[in-house]
Amino acid sequence: MSTLAPSRTEQSDDVPVDLRPLRRLKRNRLLLQLACVAVSLFMVVPFYLIAVAAFSSPAAMNEFPLRFLPTAFSVETMSTFLSSTGVGAGLINSLIVAVGTLALSLVVGAPAGYAIARYVFKGRDQYQLFLLFTRALPIVVLSVPLAELFLNVGMYDTPLAVVLLHTALTLPTTILVTASVFLAVPVDVEEAARIFGCGPLGAFGRVVLPLALPGISAASIFTFVLSWNEVLGATILTLNQRTLPATVLSSLSDSPLTFRFAGGFFLIVPALIFIAVMRKYLINMWGTTIR
Amino acid sequence: MSSINDRPLSRRTALKFGLGATAMPFLAGSLSGCQGASTSGGGDFTFISTQFTPIEEKQRYEKILSTHVKDFKIAYNSMTAGEVVTQVSAQVKANKVSIGLVGGLHGDLATLADNLEDLDTVKSQLSSAGISDDLWSLATLGGSTVKYIPWMQATYVVAAHKSTLAYLPSGADQNKLTYDQYLQWAINARKATGKAVFGFPAGPKGLYHRFFQGFLLPSFTGGQVTGFASADAITAWKYMKELWANMNPASTNYDNLQEPMARGEVLVGWDHVARLVNAPKDKPDDWVMLPSPTGPKGQGYMLVVAGFGVPRGADLDKATKVMTSLSQLPAQAETLRQNAFFPVVKGDLPTDLPPAVSLEAKAVGAQQNASNAIIAVTPVGLGKRDGEVSQVYKDCFAQICKDGKEPAAVLGAQAKVLQGILDQAKVPCWAPDKAVAGQTCSVA
Repeated sequence: MSTLAPSRTEQSDDVPVDLRPLRRLKRNRLLLQLACVAVSLFMVVPFYLIAVAAFSSPAAMNEFPLRFLPTAFSVETMSTFLSSTGVGAGLINSLIVAVGTLALSLVVGAPAGYAIARYVFKGRDQYQLFLLFTRALPIVVLSVPLAELFLNVGMYDTPLAVVLLHTALTLPTTILVTASVFLAVPVDVEEAARIFGCGPLGAFGRVVLPLALPGISAASIFTFVLSWNEVLGATILTLNQRTLPATVLSSLSDSPLTFRFAGGFFLIVPALIFIAVMRKYLINMWGTTIR
Repeated sequence: MSSINDRPLSRRTALKFGLGATAMPFLAGSLSGCQGASTSGGGDFTFISTQFTPIEEKQRYEKILSTHVKDFKIAYNSMTAGEVVTQVSAQVKANKVSIGLVGGLHGDLATLADNLEDLDTVKSQLSSAGISDDLWSLATLGGSTVKYIPWMQATYVVAAHKSTLAYLPSGADQNKLTYDQYLQWAINARKATGKAVFGFPAGPKGLYHRFFQGFLLPSFTGGQVTGFASADAITAWKYMKELWANMNPASTNYDNLQEPMARGEVLVGWDHVARLVNAPKDKPDDWVMLPSPTGPKGQGYMLVVAGFGVPRGADLDKATKVMTSLSQLPAQAETLRQNAFFPVVKGDLPTDLPPAVSLEAKAVGAQQNASNAIIAVTPVGLGKRDGEVSQVYKDCFAQICKDGKEPAAVLGAQAKVLQGILDQAKVPCWAPDKAVAGQTCSVA
């Protein structure tokens, strides 16, 4: 900046300074900031509106136009919602199911992803495509046989049943995401580990896994959120031990508007907390892959 | 590898172990599969139902269950009709029934008929309750045995804000409106207020098809299926087209009318009593409830019946105890007071009803006791195809009223669709059409 000051005095000496690049830079920065703000607003505004509506009195929801600021603050709807039968228990079940699904799908999916990434075997491409077929089949068609199967095995109406179903549903994404993550880990480092005395498992555990951890955490976010939001399978396989969405969703859709917002708010928050916790690993992943 | 094992335990490793140890109960719990928390209050008798799904209604009904069924604790699960069908049929098929009782509308239970126990013994136990023969004959679901025990009933009425009564056509009695007067009322109100204040629950989940099935067509043609494409039916749909033109066009978004009424968007409208009761809840003095209008053939109205069924293989003794307890007048009256569903058993209604419910009770009473009443019921014996029949009426509405197509052509085409469904299901007619056992219902 110090060089600019004398240049301004020289301006009178008929040597104009071209300020356009500087202006362009400033303008681009401003536009970038505006774009960031716009994208953030796009994400935050719906959440904000849900939160405002969830904590408004029912009477305020009937006014038109609706207020943008939380002027009619009330926890009445929220407390009625939270005190209704099954919300607390549903939350516990949902956490058990989501964490269980996460663990199981990583235990099964990460080695599968590793195999796809590292080994060439006959029918590998077909296998990758075939994996996605699970998602192509709608659960609705399977509902009665699925419930019957779990009834006969004696696992009906347990969180384990839902964990197994959700694991089956999330495995394709887990396997495909982890496979691409393992691909990004250079084979060289793994070979180096082997040369320095690690067994195959040791090399995987000590070298590949730490390097792949960010990608695995990204996969786990997918898994967690999918399990958290899944309703249909959970409603088919459980009756008295349901996950939170399965417990409240059908009753929310018939309830007055304020309850829908209260329920929506309550369903969003835990998933947001989980994503916030996982965030730092995600950024780490972008750091490693963008090299 | 051995050098690693020699290394003393680092702080980080210790922390990891700690974390693992904390996560273990969670994982163990989920994997052992028996540690889930009960989301239905931990009762030892499971009652699933398609009714009382809204959160507050469910909470109130759980209270009724706990006060009126003393012997054991009931886990009340309300869910969609589709879920109920899946759950019950899967359990019956697997021969492992943990559901004690199924509650649902007549149509919901009809879908499940093959999976339900015969309940003739329970019927004889309830002989003194005074449940009407009409209801019992509905409860056979077209067979020879009773498949469900009537639980509660409801119907549809008209709710109107008092400010709109000024626009009633001259000489009209608000409790004995004709369809023509109802239309004139809508026209007057629209002209006077500058906006259409009449509403119609024509949203995706709205019950507007019941208006055609149970109110409009029986009042104009005397039948629900019979005379579907007759000259009378064409008159009825022409009338409907005109009425729709004077209704709030946002009606296609309304699944129920209580919320638009509370917002002041709709001031007059026809809907289910359990929905309408919430509109005048805060200001009952501002509202009136009116019986549905009368047409050329009489005052058609639809009876909504809900019942209890027992899945095959369930504990019938326990279920009988619950059903008989809930069929006592106090439990039935409490259901009316709290959730606006009317008793099926004989007895005087309580006098201390909440204002909104007592407004409704009057309108419902006037509707039931009208000398020219034509009772209609929801389709009988169609089971899974119930929804398809409703869709026929919805399609007629969409094509005639919304798309402006010629009623005669639309009705002719839809009559074929309807007849096709009836021919495949091979069911006799249902009220108000005459049921002839063994004879498939015909639209002609």
